[in-house]
Amino acid sequence: MSPPRWLPLARQETRIVLTSKGPWILAVLLVAYAYRPTNIAAANLGANISAAFIQDVGTFLLPLGVLLLSYRSIIRERTSGSLKFLLGLPLTRGDILAGKILGRSAGIALPVCAAIVVVVGIGAIRFGSPSPLLFIGLTLVTVIYTLLLVTVATSASAASNSTVRVTGVLFGGFYLFVTVLWKPVVTRIYGATVSPLDPYNAPADGLLFMLLRLSPERSYRLLTNWLLDVGNSGAAYRSVLIKLEPGSSINAYVVETAFGSTPAPLYLHEVGGIVLLTVWFVAAAAIGYAVFNRSDLA
Amino acid sequence: MSPPAIDTYNLTKQYGDVLALDGLDLRVEAGEVYGFLGPNGAGKSTTINLLMSYCTPTDGTAKILGYDPWEAVVDCHQRVGILPDGFSVYDDRSARDHLELVIETKQAADEPLSLLRRVGLADAIDKPAGDFSQGMKQRLALAMSLVGDPELLILDEPFSGLDPHGVELVRDVVSDKTDSGTTVFFSSHVLTQVALVCDRIGILSDGQLIAEGTPATLREQAGLPADATVEDIFLEHTAPAEQEQSQ
Repeated sequence: MSPPRWLPLARQETRIVLTSKGPWILAVLLVAYAYRPTNIAAANLGANISAAFIQDVGTFLLPLGVLLLSYRSIIRERTSGSLKFLLGLPLTRGDILAGKILGRSAGIALPVCAAIVVVVGIGAIRFGSPSPLLFIGLTLVTVIYTLLLVTVATSASAASNSTVRVTGVLFGGFYLFVTVLWKPVVTRIYGATVSPLDPYNAPADGLLFMLLRLSPERSYRLLTNWLLDVGNSGAAYRSVLIKLEPGSSINAYVVETAFGSTPAPLYLHEVGGIVLLTVWFVAAAAIGYAVFNRSDLA
Repeated sequence: MSPPAIDTYNLTKQYGDVLALDGLDLRVEAGEVYGFLGPNGAGKSTTINLLMSYCTPTDGTAKILGYDPWEAVVDCHQRVGILPDGFSVYDDRSARDHLELVIETKQAADEPLSLLRRVGLADAIDKPAGDFSQGMKQRLALAMSLVGDPELLILDEPFSGLDPHGVELVRDVVSDKTDSGTTVFFSSHVLTQVALVCDRIGILSDGQLIAEGTPATLREQAGLPADATVEDIFLEHTAPAEQEQSQ
C-alpha cells in the first residue's frame, strides 16, 4: 500500500508546529497547572493519583492552548497566499484538511505527552508509580481529545473566510460556552425549563446528566474518571471523590449519588463518552470539509 | 493525438454583481506557448484560479490535459506546474523544504539542488524563505512549478518582482521547457517579454477574449504595420470604447 498523498504535507505541518515555541510553552504550563495533589485523592487513589494528574493536563488549559495554536492554521495561509501552493499540489481539499489536522495533531500531541510524562514522573516520586495500563489509557484518551480539539479548530479555520469569525466561534462559542461555562448554562436552562434544581442534590434524571456530558471536556473527564474508577461523572476526579464521601456537600453531578440504588439508564454508561467524542470529531471534520471543499479560495 | 492542454467552454465566474469572467472559450494546444494578456481586472487571474480549481465556475466547463480540474484535481495537478500570483512563502521553511514538499507530494525524482541551480538560488538552499527578496521568492516559486517535469506550466505574472536577469531566466526556462514539449500558459503585463516567447496571444478585456492569434495575425487584425510591437497591439485592442467611437 502506498502512503497517503497528504503525508508530506502532514510531515511539514508537524515540523512547523514542533519548531515553533507555542506548543512547548503550552507543555510547561500544563505541567505547572496539572500537578495538584489533594489529600482525598491520595487517600482514595494511592499511587494512581500520579496518573490522575493527566486529567488536569487535558482540562481547561489544554483546549485553550490547542485552539490558540490551531485557529489560524488554514485561514492564515489563505490570507497570505501560501495556500495557493498547497492547492496547486496533486491533493484534494480533503487531503489538505486531513494532512493539516493530522500533522498538527502529531505536532501538538508530542509536547502534550512530554508534559504528561513529566507531571506523572513528579507525582511518582512522591506517591509511587501508577499502574502502567492506567497511565497508557489516560494518555491515549488525552491524545484523542487533543486530536478532537485540533480538528475543531482547524475545521473552523478551513470553513471561514474571516479571522474574526473563527476567533468568535472557537473562543466565544466552543471554548467559553461549550467548555468552560457548559455546566452553569445547562443547569440554569434545566432549572428554568424542566424543574427547579438543587445543585447539591442533583435529581436522578438521565436527561440532565446526558445534557451535561455533551460538552467534549465533560466527555473527556467522563472517560478519564472511568479509567481512574472514581465514579460516573463529567466533573473533575477530585470533585467526584469528595461528592462520594458520606456527608459531603459539593455541587458536582455524579450518577452514583443522584441515582443511588436505582439503576441509571444505560445511555449514561461511561462508554457513551467515546461515542460523544466521536460524534464531535465527525461533525467538526464533516462541516469543515463540506464548507472548505466548495469554497472559493483565491 | 493528445488532448488540448487547456480547453474551456463558456467559462464564467461571477462574484456578487461583478462578472469577472464572461463566457470564456479558450483552447491552448499541446506544445504551445500561449500568452494571456489584458488590463488589470480583465479576468486573467480569475481564469487561472478557475483552471487551478482555486475556485469554482458559475457556469461553463474546462478541461486541463483532458481532465476535469474540479473532479480530477489529483490527476490534473500531477501533470501541471503552477507559479501562482500573489502567493507567499513559508517564512521559517528553507528553499529546500519548499521544494521537498512538492517533490514528495508529486512523487517526483527531482533534486532540490538542481532545481534551485536552474533558477539561480543554489546558494540559498538552506536559508529560510522568509529572508528572501521578492525576486528570490519568485525564483523559488518558479523552481517549485518545475517539479516533476509538468506537461503544462501555468505562470501567473511570472515577471513580477524580477530584475532583468530574472526576466531573462524566466524566458530561458520557458524556451527550454517548450523545446522538450511542455505547454506554457502565462499571463503577463510585461508585453515585450510576451512577444519574445509566445506562439499565440490572447487578449482579455472585461472578462471576454477580444482577440486571439499569433502576433502577426493580431497586427493585421488591428490594422497595424509589421513593425508594431505587442504593446501597440494590446493598446489598439483594449482601447477605451469612446476612442473607438470617435474613429
